Amino acid sequence: MERSGKKGGTSKVTGTKVTRRSFLKGVGALGLGLVATPSTNRLAFAQPKGPLKLSFWTWQNPQQHTWIQKRVKMFMEKNKGIQVDWQYFTFTDLGKKVSVGYATGTAPEGFATGTWLMPTWLSRNMVAPMDVKLLGYSSLQNFVNDYPKAFIDGAVKDGKVYGFPVYVYGFLNYLNTHHFKEAKLDPEKDQPKTWEELGEIAKKLAIKKGNKFERQGFKFAMHAPMWTMVQFNPILLQCGGSWFDKSGKCMINSDAGVKAMTIRASIIRKYQAEDPADTIATSPLPMMDFLKERVSMFSTHCIPVPAIKSQNEKMAAEGYYRPVQMPGIDPNKRFPTAYGFNFVVNINAPKEKQLALHDLYRFIMSDLVDCWKDTGPFTPARKSGWADDPQVKNYPHIDEIIKARDNGALLPETPVYNELADIVHQAVQKVTLENADIKKSLDEAAAQVDKATEEFKTKK
Amino acid sequence: MLTIGRAQISVSRWQLSYESRIKFWGILFILPTILFFLIFKYGPMIWAIYLSFTGYDIVTKPKYIGLSNYISIFKDPIFLQALNNTLVYIVGSTIAITIIGLGLALLINTGIKASRFFMSSMFLTNIMPILAVCLVWRFLFHPHGLVNQFLSPLGLGRIDWLTNSYLALPAIIIVTAWRFAPYFMVVFLAGLLAVPKEIYEAADIDGVTPFSRFFRITLPMISPIVFFVVVVSALLCARIFLMPFIITGGGPGGATRVLSMLIYETGFSYLKMGRAAAISVILFLIMMVFTILQIRLFSKTEEY
Amino acid sequence: MKKQIARFWTLEWLGVLPLGALTFLVILPIIWMISTSFQSGDKMYQLTTEWIPSVFHWENYPNGLSRSAFPLFFLNSFIVSAAVMIGNIIFCTLAGYGLSKYRFRGDKIILLLILSTLMLPLEVTLVPTFLIIRKLNWLNTYQGIFAPLLIDAFGIFLMRQFMLRIPTDYIEAARIDGAGEFKILWKIIIPQCKPAIATMAIFSFRDSWDQFIWPLVIVSVDEYRTYPLGLVRFGEDYGNPPTEQMAIAVLATIPVFLIFWILQRSLRTGFTMSGLKG
Repeated sequence: MERSGKKGGTSKVTGTKVTRRSFLKGVGALGLGLVATPSTNRLAFAQPKGPLKLSFWTWQNPQQHTWIQKRVKMFMEKNKGIQVDWQYFTFTDLGKKVSVGYATGTAPEGFATGTWLMPTWLSRNMVAPMDVKLLGYSSLQNFVNDYPKAFIDGAVKDGKVYGFPVYVYGFLNYLNTHHFKEAKLDPEKDQPKTWEELGEIAKKLAIKKGNKFERQGFKFAMHAPMWTMVQFNPILLQCGGSWFDKSGKCMINSDAGVKAMTIRASIIRKYQAEDPADTIATSPLPMMDFLKERVSMFSTHCIPVPAIKSQNEKMAAEGYYRPVQMPGIDPNKRFPTAYGFNFVVNINAPKEKQLALHDLYRFIMSDLVDCWKDTGPFTPARKSGWADDPQVKNYPHIDEIIKARDNGALLPETPVYNELADIVHQAVQKVTLENADIKKSLDEAAAQVDKATEEFKTKK
Repeated sequence: MLTIGRAQISVSRWQLSYESRIKFWGILFILPTILFFLIFKYGPMIWAIYLSFTGYDIVTKPKYIGLSNYISIFKDPIFLQALNNTLVYIVGSTIAITIIGLGLALLINTGIKASRFFMSSMFLTNIMPILAVCLVWRFLFHPHGLVNQFLSPLGLGRIDWLTNSYLALPAIIIVTAWRFAPYFMVVFLAGLLAVPKEIYEAADIDGVTPFSRFFRITLPMISPIVFFVVVVSALLCARIFLMPFIITGGGPGGATRVLSMLIYETGFSYLKMGRAAAISVILFLIMMVFTILQIRLFSKTEEY
Repeated sequence: MKKQIARFWTLEWLGVLPLGALTFLVILPIIWMISTSFQSGDKMYQLTTEWIPSVFHWENYPNGLSRSAFPLFFLNSFIVSAAVMIGNIIFCTLAGYGLSKYRFRGDKIILLLILSTLMLPLEVTLVPTFLIIRKLNWLNTYQGIFAPLLIDAFGIFLMRQFMLRIPTDYIEAARIDGAGEFKILWKIIIPQCKPAIATMAIFSFRDSWDQFIWPLVIVSVDEYRTYPLGLVRFGEDYGNPPTEQMAIAVLATIPVFLIFWILQRSLRTGFTMSGLKG
């Protein structure tokens, strides 16, 4: 019997304590052992003897995920030997579940991801290369030609394809044509082609009563870092700037960056046609201010008609909205950001499942006219095979929508994309909401981004 | 002598088994909890502490890197800002919740008619799904929203609650107090009700003023409950995440980013689980220190 | 004497108005939520709301329920929360009693240890907890969801604080009378802790009812989904009136409110020392 090391107590009590302590130690070790033992199965799904089971997770969008579900069902009917467990999550939840899945060996075999996240997955070796032949292309070159450059740059590395494109869209500038006509402007001819014109027109269209805007001229969406990036990206590039230089150092605080940020803040500061604090936008409907006619112009991805109808029936019925290209520094070089979604394959999935996923993806994207019917105006990424269909050609403003997609610039390629987005988002908030000094805010932001990149390199 | 001696021995033996019997039952009562905690709480906690000394991006195995997570965290202005925000938030919310919760409970306890109904209604603030709460308060705090409309007779002009970096955190504190004061009001009420009426009756006979009745009798009688509320609401606020996340997204410029949000971003968004674990450990240590201080503070009062 | 009665009487009634007004202000956001649940979709995001809808869109409720398998989700939430509530009532009472009455060296340390489980945020313990549940083969089961929530330090702490006030002489007397420990707990302690147990039951049910991150991580099939997972899906859905989301939110408050209403009656009874006399 060991000494309990405690004063007092009879030997019987001491005995109980020691026994209890060592018992507890044993249980503790057991508990830790449960946690520390690595799992032997990388995937929760055992090798099937019966039908091949695939797990496939996508993001939520009422039109898009319903259409994907429909296609998955059709695929299963045609391929009786394959069972697809399809699930959808909101975009942020999808990322979370996939991360936890990789950490615990229960990640889905196939899933959808945003094109801007490809460097994140690729740099950590989480997705598998795909065989273009199984996706329906005789050669890599044919594949590359069929998709916008913005997508290819992100998903094709060293001659290998890592993602199968689904949707790519570019941002547009939506104009409220009623407001334009009220101000004796022609939405077609007088559309803002440069950022100065945008400011001038916004000033004309804005209506202010006291310290309150009854109607703002133009707004940038500010509710999420992703939107901040998508909107700031083209301005930076148009000013001749870049996100990173060749050595990977962050360059947003260069002269071009300062110029771009000044433009970004100009609607508020110079033209006084925007109030960044006054918005009713929410995540599901960032274009709310536009739909409720609280602003005359708004930059966003193509707005589906059901969204317009749900919030402003009159606007949907009479169609007094018109998307045009975003402005540019040079009126002849106007381009937005183009981004999209693709399907990827988990590198840990067994070979036969990876091959089956190729078949699934190819089938889903094999009828793009059907895709457009269900999910327009979201543009499929592929260039060929659908744009000539009359259903597509007759869609209002389709030419603008496709132009935005094709001319769109890529978002910066970096494995620390999420950090970059959060940092830039905060810098924009400081500049727009607190009137912070632009150069100072950008210097701070660039330093933070460099730090994040550095830490990623040393694997913290 | 012997007989007396034998009698003494037999009494002490009875006492032995009596004490150990009690201790045995005491241990038995606590045992399931200890087992459960070891498996479901302490196991993961130790894992988290271990992770804090590694670099772990979720995909590859954790890599030991010693203290470098901690060193780089304390040099990070974003962390320091979040730390500051968290401390302000915890202190502000805890004080507000405790005072308002106690105040409400006292009100309800005065026996005003239909006070049960009012109490139950107010408790709804805690049951409302968090998504709806955030949506409503975002609109209430809008520059042209109801709160400002309500305050406009005071002539303060327009107040940008959620977009002014000095006001955003107080706004979140207000929402927190709104959501949790009624929650703890119920706890305080349970405590007030447990004060035996005889004590009050005795005091009334002595002719005590309501003021001194509160401070001399009520407060000491419920001090274990006050202790509970202060400690628990502080711990709760330390972990709150969804509220600032949905209402302000941590903005403007990080003014409402609290440590729990930073942990979430670092771990799930930036895939730096090791660093996130390190921040968690720091938060853990802060709360530990805070709770120990509370225990010290309250053990000075009579009934603890 | 009569003057005292008269004064007391008016205080009870006079207090109604201010307390009522305060309550009304406090629950204004809830009234907003209920009112919005009956509105058409385009009235959801408005700065100036119609407090009483001009048109009552009752269909938001059945429509909202049909968007996902909500009846099933609510049932799952209920099963999980009820299990958590029962688990807490049983084990926290036992543990709280053990901690409060059996004073041994280091019991403050144990209290601190127990409180420490409340100090670590959930995000970091998600992955290891998931791994434990998986080892137990409880993925996609009810027990997988409620097991980590079964005993909460909050409840233990609450019970301990309440039980501290019960005088030890009371218990000693019962022991001398020959009562067993368990009987003491059952017949003496628990009846005097009814308000505390009711409070703990309410809180554990409610905390579990709202849980989002943990069920999100542990459940991958609709069969076991809880309602917050379904509610969040409305978020990205612009095709249907967003006010349906409010309707579900209103429905979600009902079960918790019912539990609260039933249990808060225990908060009505104080207790007297009558048992000690004689």
